Amino acid sequence: MISTWYFIRKEVMEAWRNYHILMITIVFVIFGISSPLFAKLTPEILKMASGSGMTIKMPDPTSVDSWQQYFKNIIQIGIYVLTVIFSSTISNEISRGTLVNLVAKGLPRYAIVLSKYIVAYAQWCLAVLIAFLISWGYTLYYFPDSKSPNVWTGVWPLLVFGLMFVAVTVFGSTLGKSNYLGFLASVIVFIILTLLNLFKDIKKYNPIALVTDNMSLVKGTENISHIMPAIWITIVLALVTVYLSVLVLKQKKL
Amino acid sequence: MAILELHDVSKHFGDKSVLNGLDFSVPEGSIFGFVGENGVGKTTTMKMILGLETIYSGSILIDEKQVHYGDSIANKVVGYLPDVPEYYGYMTPIEYLTLCGRITGMDSGLLKTRINEMLKTVDLPIDKHRIHGFSRGMKQRLGIAQALLNEPKLLICDEPTSALDPIGRSEFLNLLASLRGKTTIVFSTHILTDVERIADRVGILHDGVLKANDSLANLKQQFAKPQIVLTFASKDDATQAGIVLGNNIQIADKKVILNYTGKFETVAEVILSSLLKEHLIPTSMNGQDTTLEDIFMEVTTS
Repeated sequence: MISTWYFIRKEVMEAWRNYHILMITIVFVIFGISSPLFAKLTPEILKMASGSGMTIKMPDPTSVDSWQQYFKNIIQIGIYVLTVIFSSTISNEISRGTLVNLVAKGLPRYAIVLSKYIVAYAQWCLAVLIAFLISWGYTLYYFPDSKSPNVWTGVWPLLVFGLMFVAVTVFGSTLGKSNYLGFLASVIVFIILTLLNLFKDIKKYNPIALVTDNMSLVKGTENISHIMPAIWITIVLALVTVYLSVLVLKQKKL
Repeated sequence: MAILELHDVSKHFGDKSVLNGLDFSVPEGSIFGFVGENGVGKTTTMKMILGLETIYSGSILIDEKQVHYGDSIANKVVGYLPDVPEYYGYMTPIEYLTLCGRITGMDSGLLKTRINEMLKTVDLPIDKHRIHGFSRGMKQRLGIAQALLNEPKLLICDEPTSALDPIGRSEFLNLLASLRGKTTIVFSTHILTDVERIADRVGILHDGVLKANDSLANLKQQFAKPQIVLTFASKDDATQAGIVLGNNIQIADKKVILNYTGKFETVAEVILSSLLKEHLIPTSMNGQDTTLEDIFMEVTTS
């Protein structure tokens, strides 16, 4: 296991020196600032866009609009930005041959998968939490209401969803030498989960619930226990996917 | 005692058989030159020794421990230098060597000393320059440093001199030669003169089996084919000389090459008197010993 620790340190250095952490920080700080700001400015923008001849009556924006914007940004753009960054995590090393020396020295292949998974997931958490904390601060400043009482309950399913989504990206990147396989695998899985959501009976078991039911959790109209089966299934799927990644990498020619 | 043993090792890629019952051992402390044509399976053999490639059948032992695909126990006593080593360009050599040393389980105090020693040995700067700015030769030298970092019992080099300029090649061969007796070295190459220069033993891989495996001296004795090379002023003279000297000769442009047995001086005297009788005077006459190239050609074409 000590090799895993050394490789984690290498991965952190790589993420830092290749500017991945910087890119993630910039993108998600922007999300954090823009989510409440857009919620605040949307009525004004619509008023200006409608021209002088029309009068649009818009309800005053609330913290709910701000959080809605936050989850929209993260789920519709943010997770794909992260997936693109992690997409080549293993495939790039295989295609360049950088693992040969280290594996020949005794680095276990499971350590490679675990380290890459842990560091990628840490970056996922960093991204989600940076945007969340900034968004939280600005939301409290712009909308000091009590319409969003459970913001933490709404955000942590997103962190749990990351466990599986990052695992799928890492798995995809073990499949071949192409840098896009990780991204492709994640997109395919996301589409499949979205389609599965069409079946009412399996909705509460579907991991996609972790990124679709967040607003109900934030507003307090839904309890976390409602998506608990989906949380457990997501965790199990994440573990299985990481295990499969190790098996695939063990068979890979370096 | 042998540090590396291959017993009846076979390897297939789909329907194509690459190695058929490869069987050889490398004595501890020796330098083993591993030669063969392109695509004959040298790199595959090396990767199997390192546990980086699956073995179809047979077994490989390093220091009496069996090598398993993906296993890291044997690898900790082995250093490996690939033909084109690839690194993390964002690291400095010190950071890369530290990672390598830690993976092999080196003590951190010893590691620091060894890194400085190795960087001095391979003449790389001990500073904060990152690897992405290194030339190919510098990368090859860093490869040597990482391969020798943990003072491995067995060093495996896959065509290590192919990327080096003549000076770099000579320095590298001197470095390998200086390890004789301390580290067992297996190195593959196409440059047969490199093998002749430093190897104690030579293995010639052909058609998936080791066709020859012995000391260079023994191979030369076994495949002895000394030659005399005569050069003439014109092609016509060379052809005339060929007629005079009879069978067992080859004519190449202005040169006549004869295989001979026995003492050089005796044979040379007979040849020269035959030629003088016909007023044919060679511009030069050289005796040539059997080279590894001759042995290689003999083994791979027979």
